[in-house]
Amino acid sequence: MEAQIAELTARIAELESKASVTNTMFAETYYYLSIPLMIIIHAGFLAYEMGATRMKNVLSSGMKNILAFAFMVPTFYWFGWWVYWGFPTGITFSAGPAGISGAEYANAIALGWGESAQYMGPNIADQASGVFWGAFTLFACTTASIMSGAVIERIQTVGFTICAIVLGSFAWVVAAAWGWHADGWLVTKFGVHDFGAAGLVHAVAGFFALGVLVNLGPRIGKFNSDGTANNLRGHNLPFTVTGLMLIMVGFWGFLMACVIVPGEAWSWYPDKATTIYGTPMTLSALSFNILMGMGGGIIGSYAYTRDPFWMMSGCLAGLISVASGLDLYWPSLTFIIALGAGILLKPAADVLERWGIDDAVGAVTVHGTIGIYALVVLGIFASGFPALQGAEGEVAQISLIGQIVGAIVFFLLGFVPGYIVSWILNAVGMLRVPDAVQEAGLDPVKVTAQAYPEGIPNSPPAGT
Amino acid sequence: MGFPYPEADWELVEGAMYMGAGGALPGIYTFISILICIYLLWACNRVEWNKYDEAGE
Repeated sequence: MEAQIAELTARIAELESKASVTNTMFAETYYYLSIPLMIIIHAGFLAYEMGATRMKNVLSSGMKNILAFAFMVPTFYWFGWWVYWGFPTGITFSAGPAGISGAEYANAIALGWGESAQYMGPNIADQASGVFWGAFTLFACTTASIMSGAVIERIQTVGFTICAIVLGSFAWVVAAAWGWHADGWLVTKFGVHDFGAAGLVHAVAGFFALGVLVNLGPRIGKFNSDGTANNLRGHNLPFTVTGLMLIMVGFWGFLMACVIVPGEAWSWYPDKATTIYGTPMTLSALSFNILMGMGGGIIGSYAYTRDPFWMMSGCLAGLISVASGLDLYWPSLTFIIALGAGILLKPAADVLERWGIDDAVGAVTVHGTIGIYALVVLGIFASGFPALQGAEGEVAQISLIGQIVGAIVFFLLGFVPGYIVSWILNAVGMLRVPDAVQEAGLDPVKVTAQAYPEGIPNSPPAGT
Repeated sequence: MGFPYPEADWELVEGAMYMGAGGALPGIYTFISILICIYLLWACNRVEWNKYDEAGE
């Protein structure tokens, strides 16, 4: 009898060990696969902005987007990851209630030297840090890509890259630490809820772009002397529209990476997936609401514009408009909110243009304005939901006031750094491309390759 | 709209977690969204036919 019990105990231990290995491999693979999916976002933005560029500037627009990706990776490794873990409680750098934040904690896990180096490189005992860092790095790349399209055809490459580093490896990371972390003060004190990062990624990046645009100025020929705007058409609208669709594909990776899988030491529950706040979440909830958001956004923009560019921008705007509450919305409500965002999009972009801002791809509107819309709308519909795990009265709840506070903070975290860094770059002559070069085209002046060496001929079809 | 359970505590939620769970609102939203879609199809079709008419004149 004792021998049988011992054998049974050994078998249970063996099965537990196997289950643990399977779960760990699943968790690691889950985040690992979100990374290439998010690179599709970058590919989409690349196509989007190159298509929106006139032929004389195509390659220089693409190059700066590629450089944003390249510089985001090491800078997020060197300090962006530290900022996420060090900043949640604000500038005190103290540990928060969940005990996973503050300078001491960040020093222990997120620096590429000393004791914490074991978590920042290959380590057989750590199958989480690298994939989490990778996913967050791609969030950072997304912010830089959002700004990249707004400033095409007149920004200097190195000046842009510096802006991208400030945005991707600092500004949005502070926003994430404050509003997308269980110890974040916006979450613990105001109940801010932004599951899919509508505010802390999209609004921050959109308004950072606005801060840069104010100092950068419009493209030559965009505005007439009486202040009216001209439409500087990109050379390839189908390319732009396809790029937007690629972005939508990539956002499945972005949003899956916002889910915390169960069963690991760092998971919230042994058996339930959660949001980054520890509140319940399922991939089914994502599927319902992502698709309804996309559909609503496209239909809203179609109804208002009947323009394929704005329809696909509406698809993105529809998704962003519900991203904060993808875990909580009822799908039909998602559809209605996203449809509203699709309708709002073009008039909001027109207002910006009337203010003399030349946002070449509508990034400030799609990401900034709609990001704020998402936060506020969630405050209206989700007031009273617990923002964190914990008993009633012990944790903050989602509220309209809290969401508005979050929206204001995210706006400032985007606009202020964007304005300051671009102001400095402008003062030292590193921001705007000289007018003569803009007129000649950036590619012929500084790119060693040629986008279309044979032009784009109107080839006749094969004879019958 | 408020949390759809008596206490605002996620530990007590075992099933539906969306806004309005267990009430009439989800059905109302679905009905409204269907009406909006039907209206937009009708309105957009009118605009499209107007364009055809203008092109034919």
